[in-house]
Formats: sequence, structure tokens, C-alpha cells
Amino acid sequence: MIRFEGVTKAFGGRKILDDFSFEVGKGEILFLLGKSGMGKSVTLKHIVGLLKPDWGRVFVDDIEVSCLDEARLGPVRRKCGMVFQHPALLDSLTVRENVAFGLRAPEWTEARALERVRETLGLVHLGPELLDRLPAELSYGMQKRVSLARTLAPGPDTLLFDEPTTGLDPITTTAVNALIHDLSRNLHVTSLVVSHDMESALKLADRILVLDQGRILALGTPQDIERSPEPLVQDFLSEALERRRTR
Amino acid sequence: MNRAIGVMTEDLGGLALFVKDVFLTALRTRSNARPLVAQVALVSFRSLPTVAFAGLFVGAILVLQFNLILSRYDAQIFLGGLNTSAVIREVGPLIISFLLAGKVGAYTAAELGTMRVTEQVDAIRCLGTDPLQYLVLPRFLAIILSSLLLLTLSLMIGIAGSVVVAQLLCGINPLQYVTAIPRFLNPAIFAAALLKCGLYGFIVAAVSCHQGYTARNGARGVGQAVTRAAIYTNLYIIFAQFIASPTLNWMLGAAQ
Ligand SMILES: Nc1ncnc2c1ncn2[C@@H]1O[C@H](COP(=O)(O)OP(=O)(O)O)[C@@H](O)[C@H]1O
Ligand SMILES: [Mg+2]
Repeated sequence: MIRFEGVTKAFGGRKILDDFSFEVGKGEILFLLGKSGMGKSVTLKHIVGLLKPDWGRVFVDDIEVSCLDEARLGPVRRKCGMVFQHPALLDSLTVRENVAFGLRAPEWTEARALERVRETLGLVHLGPELLDRLPAELSYGMQKRVSLARTLAPGPDTLLFDEPTTGLDPITTTAVNALIHDLSRNLHVTSLVVSHDMESALKLADRILVLDQGRILALGTPQDIERSPEPLVQDFLSEALERRRTR
Repeated sequence: MNRAIGVMTEDLGGLALFVKDVFLTALRTRSNARPLVAQVALVSFRSLPTVAFAGLFVGAILVLQFNLILSRYDAQIFLGGLNTSAVIREVGPLIISFLLAGKVGAYTAAELGTMRVTEQVDAIRCLGTDPLQYLVLPRFLAIILSSLLLLTLSLMIGIAGSVVVAQLLCGINPLQYVTAIPRFLNPAIFAAALLKCGLYGFIVAAVSCHQGYTARNGARGVGQAVTRAAIYTNLYIIFAQFIASPTLNWMLGAAQ
């Protein structure tokens, strides 16, 4: 469960989030849509404590993360996996070492960690032959899936996706979307997906939130959103329709 | 111009806080010598040819210059002492640390900056590792140690090269050249030169790590971080020389 209560965040006098409140329920898939530069990534970074709000509070399962210091954020970050927009893999480490990066607590022996690495690579449809490759030897789509595996490895119960399908080919996009769906439905993982892909949102989301100028422009089920009179929402919808037609 | 100074003072404040954080991180980090030695070896090896080349020519240029003046007064017996003194006291550390700023400093700023803007730094934090400890600290220490190593080495090459240049181009007997050195220099001056080299290495490390670590705004931001790392390092080093040289000279004078 994730909850924002009146969060305001400004950078250099420019308000990015303005009294922003919303909630993602346990096991729910919420899509957060908005134009580029509207503070979608900033929203995600508040949840794992990479940014602190100027005003307001952020909760994860009733823990107020916005008041935790770096040392006490550890447990929250183990619970909340963040999939970054870039693959963000460490160039000098192999795929195996990258995926195992979050598995360094004492309970992860080397054998168990390797087992877990294979398992999570399987979840993102990558084979064990990639274990000893370096990120530079993989395609962008593969790197993004390795990055996803790295986030899944410690077994988070909440997942934050920052544009998980941007820059991916249609087939990988479908695979990643299916994975988000399965994780949520089979393992009751709570998912907050940042995107500007309305088509995926309509297919997958339990609810969709459209963020504009730091505030909620529209929030509701895909059916609600399709009926929204807001011009920006209509733009997103017609763009999604356009793409479906041209395929 | 005013804006440039504004940006620089703002960065100087950020730099001070950054160095404090790195220092606190160092205090609570258990030393792990092996990767550090590997990193030092890598950095030193990569820059060795550049720095050796520079050391050699700094020595050579000064020999020719001093020889021109000294020969006019028939005082070439002082050449070895005067030249060595100039190389290790002032010009050598300055020019060679400029080169290190352009090479090691720019490389580090680009590397850390790329990690920052491609969210590797955030990813590491989210996976429960302190990026200052994991990414910055080893680079920081390696730069200081390898700068010290490279500066010392290139000063030695500069001095040795000067002997050869003095003989080949100015006809000065190497023995005469070398015996003149102790008349101008004592071990304390060598120690002061080492101290200076350590200080400049620290400046290269601090500025380049800080600029890279705080880069923002994608590829353009990385470019900006690299440029700033090189320029600020050079400016801070000039300023440090301006303060350190008279201070060290005064301390050496007082000690005698
Ligand atoms: N750490 C930061 N410092 C200053 N400005 C920032 C920072 N992070 C984000 N911003 C600014 O906030 C705005 C929103 O950024 P972001 O959340 O990344 O947008 P998006 O919705 O495309 O993900 C951008 O204008 C960005 O420049
Ligand atoms: Mg973003």
C-alpha cells in the first residue's frame, strides 16, 4: 500500500508536485500518466526516500517514509522495488553480479543467491547463458529485463516502474506488460507504473491517474478515464487509438 | 562574469559538504586494500606516459631558459640547483597536476556523471548499498594516491631529464650539474614538494568526484560536469599554490 498526503515538492522555486494526494491499494495496479517533465519520476523517488517532500507525507504500508533517514530506509527499500527508466546496470559487473547486487544480506549464501538469480532471470525470459555477460554486450531490451530481474531478486511486495516499456520493441513491451500483470495477480504485488503509454494502461490498470501541473487531472478506472472530458486525457486516448490502428 | 563567480562559490560550498560526507564515509568504512591497490595501479598506469612526457619537457624547457640567463653572467655552475629548485618547488607540481586534472579528473567526472544520470547511483542506493562508499570512496582515495605517485615520478623524470638536456644542449657536465643541486635544496624542500603534490591530488579527487557525483540533466549535464571538473580543479590548484608556496617557504625558513 502506498499513500501520498498533500505532497508538495519544488525545485528552484518551480512547484513540481502541488498538494498531491493519492493511494495505491494492496495488490492494485495503478498507472500514473502524464506528459514528460510533469514529476512522474519525482513521485516514484519520494516513495523510496530518494527525495523528501517539502510539505506533506508519504506512507508505505503505514510506515511514514518521508521522515525516515537514510539508515532506516533500508527495510522500506527492500519491500519496494524500483525499476528505473534507464537499465541502470553497473557496467563493470556481469549480469549475475548485477542481479545479485541486492542479495548481499547474510541470509543469502552464494548458492542461494545464484539460485535466485537464475529464477528471476527466468521470470523475465532470459536464459542462464547470459550470466557471465557484461551489460555492454546486451541489447537495450535485454538490459532493461536484467534490470527488472535485479529489482525482483530480493522479493519486493511493492513494485515501482518508471516507464518500463519506453524504448522497447512491441514484443518485449507485451512481455513486460504480461509480467506486471502476473506479478500483481499471482503474487499480489502492489504496482505503481509510471508511463505515457495509455494503451498499456487501459489494458492493465485497475485505476489510472493522470498528473498535470503537479495535480491530479483525472483518476479512475479505465472506463472512467475513457469518458473523461479533459482535453489532455482525450489526447492521450486518441494517441493510443491511433497507435492501435496503425499496427 | 558575475554569474560564473556565483556558480563557482555555490559549487565551493557544495564541494565542502561533499568532502565532509566522503570523509565521514571513510571513517566508518573498513579498509579493503586490494581493490584500492588495483584502482591506483590502473589510474597510474593509464596516465604514466602523459605525465612522464610532461615532466621531461618541463625540466627541459626550464634548463634552456635558465641556461640562457646564467650563461650571460657566467654563472652556469648554479644551473643544476636553480633548475631543480624551480622544477620541484613551483612549476613541476603545477603543470603536471593540470595534466592530471585534464586526464584523471575529467575521466572520473565523466564516469561518475554517467552513473548519476543513468540512475545507477540511485539504483545502488535502492539496493541497500551506499554509493559514496561503493563508488566514490575508492576513486577518491585512488586519485589522491596515484596523483602523489605520478607527480613524484614525473618530477624525478623531470630532474633526470634536465641533466641530459643540460649536457646535450648546453654543454654542462652532469657531475657539475648534480653537485649544484644540494646548494639550493635540502630534504625539507623535497618533503614540502611532496606535501604539495598530495594537496593537488586531493583537489583533483575532490573536485572531479563532486562534479561527477552531482551531475544532472542527461548527457549535456555530464559534459558540463567534465568541463567544470577540469576548469575548477585548475583554478583551485593555482589558488592553492598561491597560498601553499609562501606558507611552506615561510615554514621552511622558520625551521632553519
Ligand atoms: N533532483 C532534482 N533537482 C532539480 N530538479 C529536478 C530534480 N529531479 C527532477 N527535477 C525536475 O523536475 C521536473 C520533473 O522531473 P521528472 O519527475 O523526472 O519528470 P517525468 O514526469 O518526465 O518523469 C523536471 O523539470 C526536472 O528537471
Ligand atoms: Mg521520468
